[in-house]
Amino acid sequence: MFEEFGSSQRRMIFKGILAFLFLLLFGRLYQLQYVYGEQYGKEAEENSIRNIPKVPIRGYVYDRKGRLLVDNHPSYTVMLTPIDFDKKNLPLLSSILSLPENIIEEKIRTAKKYNQFIPSRLKRDISFGELSMLEEYKDNLAGVEIQMESKRSYSSSVHGSHLFGYAKEISDVQLEKNKSYYQPGDIIGSTGIEAKYEEVLRGEKGWNFISQNAKGQIIGTFDNGKHDIPSKDGLDLYLNIDAKVQAVAESLMTGQRGAVVAVDPRTGGILAFVSKPDYNLSIFSGTTTPEQWYALNNNPEKPLFNRATLTRYPPGSTFKMLLALAALDKGIIDENWTVVCPGSFRYGNKVFACEHVHGKVNVVDAIHKSCNVFFYQLMLKVGLDDWSEVGKEFGFGKISGVDILEENPGLLPDREYYDRVHGKGKWGPGYLISLGIGQGEVGVSPLQMADYAAALAEQGTWYTPHFVDRIYNKQTKTFHKMQTPMHTVPLSEHAWNLVREGMRRAVMEPHGTGYAARIPGIEVAGKTGTAQNPHGKSHAWFMGFAPFDNPKIAVCVLVENAGYGGAIAAPIAGLCMEQYLYGEIIRFGSKSSKAAVAANQ
Amino acid sequence: MNSFFKEYFDTVLFSTVIALAAVGLISIYSATFDAYAGRDFYRQLTWVGIGLIAMLVTMLVPLRWLQRQAFTIFFSSLPLLILVLIMGRRVYGSQSWLGIAGLGIQPSEFIKISTLLALSSFLSRSDVRATDLKDLVKAGGIVLLPITLIMMQPDFGTALTFLGMFIPVLFWAGASQFLIIIIIAPAFIGVASIIGTTPFLLVLLLLGIGLYAVGGNRFVAALVFGANALIGLLVQLVYDKLPLYQQKRIQTFLDPNNDPLGAGYNVIQAKVAIGSGGLWGKGFLHGTQTQLSFIPKQWTDFIFCVPGEEFGFIGALIILALFALLLYRGVRLATITKNRFGSLLAIGITSLLAFHIFVNIGMSVGLMPVIGIPLPFLSYGGSSLLSYMIMAGLLMNVYANRKEY
Repeated sequence: MFEEFGSSQRRMIFKGILAFLFLLLFGRLYQLQYVYGEQYGKEAEENSIRNIPKVPIRGYVYDRKGRLLVDNHPSYTVMLTPIDFDKKNLPLLSSILSLPENIIEEKIRTAKKYNQFIPSRLKRDISFGELSMLEEYKDNLAGVEIQMESKRSYSSSVHGSHLFGYAKEISDVQLEKNKSYYQPGDIIGSTGIEAKYEEVLRGEKGWNFISQNAKGQIIGTFDNGKHDIPSKDGLDLYLNIDAKVQAVAESLMTGQRGAVVAVDPRTGGILAFVSKPDYNLSIFSGTTTPEQWYALNNNPEKPLFNRATLTRYPPGSTFKMLLALAALDKGIIDENWTVVCPGSFRYGNKVFACEHVHGKVNVVDAIHKSCNVFFYQLMLKVGLDDWSEVGKEFGFGKISGVDILEENPGLLPDREYYDRVHGKGKWGPGYLISLGIGQGEVGVSPLQMADYAAALAEQGTWYTPHFVDRIYNKQTKTFHKMQTPMHTVPLSEHAWNLVREGMRRAVMEPHGTGYAARIPGIEVAGKTGTAQNPHGKSHAWFMGFAPFDNPKIAVCVLVENAGYGGAIAAPIAGLCMEQYLYGEIIRFGSKSSKAAVAANQ
Repeated sequence: MNSFFKEYFDTVLFSTVIALAAVGLISIYSATFDAYAGRDFYRQLTWVGIGLIAMLVTMLVPLRWLQRQAFTIFFSSLPLLILVLIMGRRVYGSQSWLGIAGLGIQPSEFIKISTLLALSSFLSRSDVRATDLKDLVKAGGIVLLPITLIMMQPDFGTALTFLGMFIPVLFWAGASQFLIIIIIAPAFIGVASIIGTTPFLLVLLLLGIGLYAVGGNRFVAALVFGANALIGLLVQLVYDKLPLYQQKRIQTFLDPNNDPLGAGYNVIQAKVAIGSGGLWGKGFLHGTQTQLSFIPKQWTDFIFCVPGEEFGFIGALIILALFALLLYRGVRLATITKNRFGSLLAIGITSLLAFHIFVNIGMSVGLMPVIGIPLPFLSYGGSSLLSYMIMAGLLMNVYANRKEY
């Protein structure tokens, strides 16, 4: 069969197939261009279809009580049709809109690339002065028109910068990734829930088909608009956020750097979510000037940074409960095991400090008075493996899956981590001692701490934290409830009871470090933390929950470089819980508040 | 000197490639000149320059070395496809682009060449027989590897081009024609039976004639014929059971005219553009459809519309003639060359070119479904142009070495 290779018969077949295919193309071109050429020519002259997008209305955002937090306001956008615009009017347009000529020229060039025969956005959200000037010079500015559009508008009662996030004009990078839906000038959610729920909020674009002649002039609707696709408005979001608690938390954090996160321990719904310093979201809703963007982006206080989910600081003494739970559950100690605290602990040639001389303490006392020496010794008894195992159950060291995209897993070291970083066999128990009091190589976010507080409140049950409770469809008038995954920390009830009692005493009993978190008439449990910081003053933590017997709110407060957690963070947490549980701050004494206290007692 | 030059340099092929690249540049200029002040044109011009250098370099690489190193080249090129899956950029729905030093590279364009090299090298080995089923399966394995990776992007059109190269190469290498018919018949039968009963019967008739002409075992032939008839009926049965929206999707793919405002929009606009060109065309930069950007992607996959509209039937015929000349040269080269590796390489490149030309122009004139593959030498895009220039360089290499065994 060797002679079959490229044989003359095969050559003929090969050439025959090629010739046949070319003949087919030839015939088709002859038919299209020669026979029907005139007809197609006419069609090209007269009637070509173009599709013009119709932008839907972006969905609204409400809080848990149905208070409107984010909606849309009308705004005026200057549209420019490149083909109709006379370049000699550039200086006039430039002076009216106070836009440099070269920027307008650049925008016209981009618009031409997209389509020079239909209007493209030139400037969003113009002022009333600019609007009236444009009206006045209308006759001199062919190809320039005004279009009504909508822009995001925010409730004045809360900022919510990091939870809502901003929606702004799509960037080139975003456009490249989503070419199938978006066009230049479209609005896209870029951070927070605006980004996470972009496809829910934005709705679905519609299309109008219009007929156009070969000169690019619009003749009219195509086929009486029979083929037009209507746009679908965006869906509304109902959050778990309580706008009043959010407002209280924001005002208490004014002037500070840090974060507050409050969740409902029974559902994982986020009640308040603050990161400070924050910024005014409406900067992004119209046109963001380069100066505004530069100022925000280069502010040394980093207002764009979401401290509630992206920071990873050592949790300090708030981590003591975790160690106590691990020890009690594994039976390593019981409630009668005691340590005598002389005010410091020596291991090898290193000395680890305590705040006071606590004397003889058991596990409940040690949490109550925040004794370091007890937990240094306990950490050596428990060891790294059991500690990090329980830590993982609480969600430390990994992403929580909260419904915004900005999140940092933090760091919960385990054996593998130490082997990797320090080398196998090159680290010993001495490396672990600080972990017992939440210092050293461990990093957590305020959101993770709020989950931890919720799990302590519910004795080991906690839910993935989430902002959105339900989605509302205006067209069908139906709600869609969001599902939330549940997690459990499987430890003995005995362990939970002792540790929670320690937390209760830390706030409610004398010598407790968290007394400043007390609320009139309600038992609060919690724990302070002070994270040492090599670069300045310590970071202040507080995490806790209330009411003690029937927890309805769990909260975490972090204030950067503020000193002791008990002094700075605990009062903020107390006021937030008070606002949520009473619906107002009662400690300053109104009539209804006194009645409320009486009723509670 | 002159005769030496003629002996080693295929002037006809070289001139044809230059002419095609020039037509491409003119078309790209016309389609994009007003938007970015000719930015795309200058980019493509740069790529033509780079391509010419690549072509001449490829021509000078010793052919025997290529034959020996074919598998090394093949296996070292495959990881690019894996890389593209992991960190590639997504463009128009498939992940086929790799960003290297700020340039977008589409590895699949180059994998076509390395696969052909490996396939040709394998089939030209003295111990490999194209008539041997075991060797055929091995050859199939070579092609299946890149096809699988490209389908994962997913880039259906590009994956299909590998078959457009593989089957002709097998055919040329001497594989049983009977077997080739068995391989390709079900695909044709399947598509035809979805279009309708008449096309199905027509293809079935063609299959009958083909099987008869090829000869072979009459009993097996009858069996194959029966099996294909059954496949056709089954496809029709399954198709009828599909939900209506899926049927519509398939119909729209096969005939875009069914959805004039959606998938068919490009095709109808393309047909209007080409048709309205008439006999002589509307003149350079005077095509209304081109200048009004009525056809999306007209400088990449729908580039043929631009000369079609602006230079008319005459212009289109000149382009077809240039392509025909190129393919004719390729087949001739495969015939006259004395070494089998070169011959297979030439026939493989010719088939790849023919497949791209027919599918791409066929799509623009509404003969073929919309399959996004570029028109050789004309479409905008560095990777594809460079890969075709390298293929042309390989053809010229085969020409220079045609007298060596």
